[in-house]
Amino acid sequence: MSQEVRRYRTDEEVDFVIVGSGAAGGVLAKELSTAGFSVVVLEQGPYLRPYQFAHDELGDFFTGGLIGTLADHPHSWRQRPEDEAVPASLMPQLFYAKAVGGSSLHFAANYWRFRPVDFRERSLLGPISGSSLVDWPLTYEELEPYYTKVDWEVGVSGAPGPGDPARSRPYPTPPMHTKSAGMLMARGARALGWTSAPAPVAILSRPHNGRAACINCGYCWGHGCEVGAKSSTLASMIPVAEATGNCEIRDRSVVHRIEVDARDRVRRVVYLDPDGVEQGQRAKAVVLAANGAETPRLLFLSETSRHPDGLANSSGKVGKNLMFNTNVGTIGVFPEPLNEYKGIKASQVVMDFYDTDPARGFYGGGGIDARSSVGHLFFAMFEGLHPDEPSWGPEFKSRMARTYTRHASFAGHGTSLPRERNTISLDPELKDAWGRAAVRVTYEDHPDDIALMRFLQARALDLLEAAGAEEAWGPPVGTQTISAHFLGTCRMGDDPAESVVDRYHRSHDIPNLFICDGSSLVTSGRGQPTMTIQALAFRAGEHIAGFARRGEI
Amino acid sequence: MLGGAWLLGLEPAFEAAGHHARRALAQGLPARVLTPRETLDLEAVSAVMIPTDDTPGAREAGVVHFIDRALETFFAPYLPPVRGWLARLQDRVRDNHDGLDGFADLSEATQADVLREMEAEGGAFGLVRILVMLGMFSHPDHGGNRDQVGWRLLGYETAPAYQPPFGYYDAPGREGEP
Repeated sequence: MSQEVRRYRTDEEVDFVIVGSGAAGGVLAKELSTAGFSVVVLEQGPYLRPYQFAHDELGDFFTGGLIGTLADHPHSWRQRPEDEAVPASLMPQLFYAKAVGGSSLHFAANYWRFRPVDFRERSLLGPISGSSLVDWPLTYEELEPYYTKVDWEVGVSGAPGPGDPARSRPYPTPPMHTKSAGMLMARGARALGWTSAPAPVAILSRPHNGRAACINCGYCWGHGCEVGAKSSTLASMIPVAEATGNCEIRDRSVVHRIEVDARDRVRRVVYLDPDGVEQGQRAKAVVLAANGAETPRLLFLSETSRHPDGLANSSGKVGKNLMFNTNVGTIGVFPEPLNEYKGIKASQVVMDFYDTDPARGFYGGGGIDARSSVGHLFFAMFEGLHPDEPSWGPEFKSRMARTYTRHASFAGHGTSLPRERNTISLDPELKDAWGRAAVRVTYEDHPDDIALMRFLQARALDLLEAAGAEEAWGPPVGTQTISAHFLGTCRMGDDPAESVVDRYHRSHDIPNLFICDGSSLVTSGRGQPTMTIQALAFRAGEHIAGFARRGEI
Repeated sequence: MLGGAWLLGLEPAFEAAGHHARRALAQGLPARVLTPRETLDLEAVSAVMIPTDDTPGAREAGVVHFIDRALETFFAPYLPPVRGWLARLQDRVRDNHDGLDGFADLSEATQADVLREMEAEGGAFGLVRILVMLGMFSHPDHGGNRDQVGWRLLGYETAPAYQPPFGYYDAPGREGEP
């Protein structure tokens, strides 16, 4: 940025402090600053520039990169509330980026809209044992204009597919090139009498909004985009926010506490600056957009004698109903090279199993996309290993040489049922590099989620076989122990006893505290939540700006 | 080149270790954290896992130098388990093979048998295997995958950008194929 960037003093009361600059925080920063409000965005990670992003799988997954190190960001994990949580080692189990742009920097950019059914499945299906499934206080129709804003302002490439919900405007840019795995998926779907469509992605197939088109470098998932073609908030929203002159992005600012006064109003956000010195930014209102793991953590860290269970938690729902989205992989090997490491991650989708079908005997549905392995390292370490073949030695070596360029991964992505027992909480002992209590995850997939994963994996294997794969397999399905999606932990609802925020993302307990990110989601959707998180953020930004104009915060 | 890591303060460690690994390879210098015996045995382990045949293997990729420098820097917490595993490996060789001092001294066929036994026992075998894979296939800047021999093995053609068609099935005219 060549222009002067606005700086605010910490003792100056700004209109909004936004905690987090990712998918939701970036949109809110843009919406509130262009509406004329003064905004300070506090981001715990550094302000990286696109030229600093590297084509380096080891660097980005194992040694810090965008996600930080486990030494700085420890966390612990257990399946059931009665288990002892074990600290993560070797690789993070909570997988999210710590940098300006948040996880929109390193996502694969699959941008599936929710469908109308996602908002009212509790009404359609009735109660489900072992789940706290409820309807949204919103409908698809209410959210549709904001999905369209995401398409055009953030930048989504695609083409309408079978079963897609109604849209008020076409995609701004045509779909990305259909890669070999996508062509094979389409072939398999035709053979089975199913349908497939180009995958909608937040990656530009053509220049749009002054940004460049994708160069097919292949480093999308887990990596930052050095040409800004992937529609991270760093590429799409932050520059617009900064250009208003009203918005300061304050990086390496690690928030410890949201301070409330005796009248239960937020006054200040307390954080450690890059030198480790405690600072407090005064604000008229605060928007938490730190992601579905960090947001409940901050609410817990902000407990006071008047709010002993954490801020905004009179319902007791903060941190509960954690949903990851079900996720299941397969590998198929074909006679000729695909070279899936080139280009975007997923280029084709099959959505024939989107809806819950009672005949299947379990709740849930999802989509299957045609993609590559995470990368060459993951292929050699895990994904490319055939369950009946050695994982080292001469046979392993020749298998790697034969299969890496010839593999496709058809992956299932689907619903997770909300369960109160699946939570984000504070680890009682583990502390991060800034002295904050670390996140503790408690997560066990609902039996219906496990059944859905088995089902989607079987359908993905059907597709690989029908597409002509020489061999195809999937790893064993079990409860998930790693995730990049953290949903539902401050869920939205009309009833203050059953939810954390209202339909406008205002917390039920603290009138000038808003929460908008993955934590707001009531249901998980079919596996690709970011599009909906950003549609909610555009809608929240509009309403919050209205409240501010009318003196209602 | 390692932009993200640089800003998180890791670049000096990477750079020092990367340079160390290259220098060690070029000059035959001893490893930094591994003892000479550990270095010999671990290199032999890596060469059994990814052998040299008509194409280069772990030995040519400099996997052991990658691991040495990784255990000195960003994977320092894994030095104790790797060291403990190598000690058990050496014990096993000494106990069962009179007069031999370590894994590297065994014949190749025996090495593979011993490694299968160690795999069955679990422990840090999985960690060692992952370190070997990282050394073989990660970016050469990290000290392994020397001359991109790992990437060449995979058929991973590295370029900053690509043009479609990327493979066989997305070439024009293939849509109609059964």
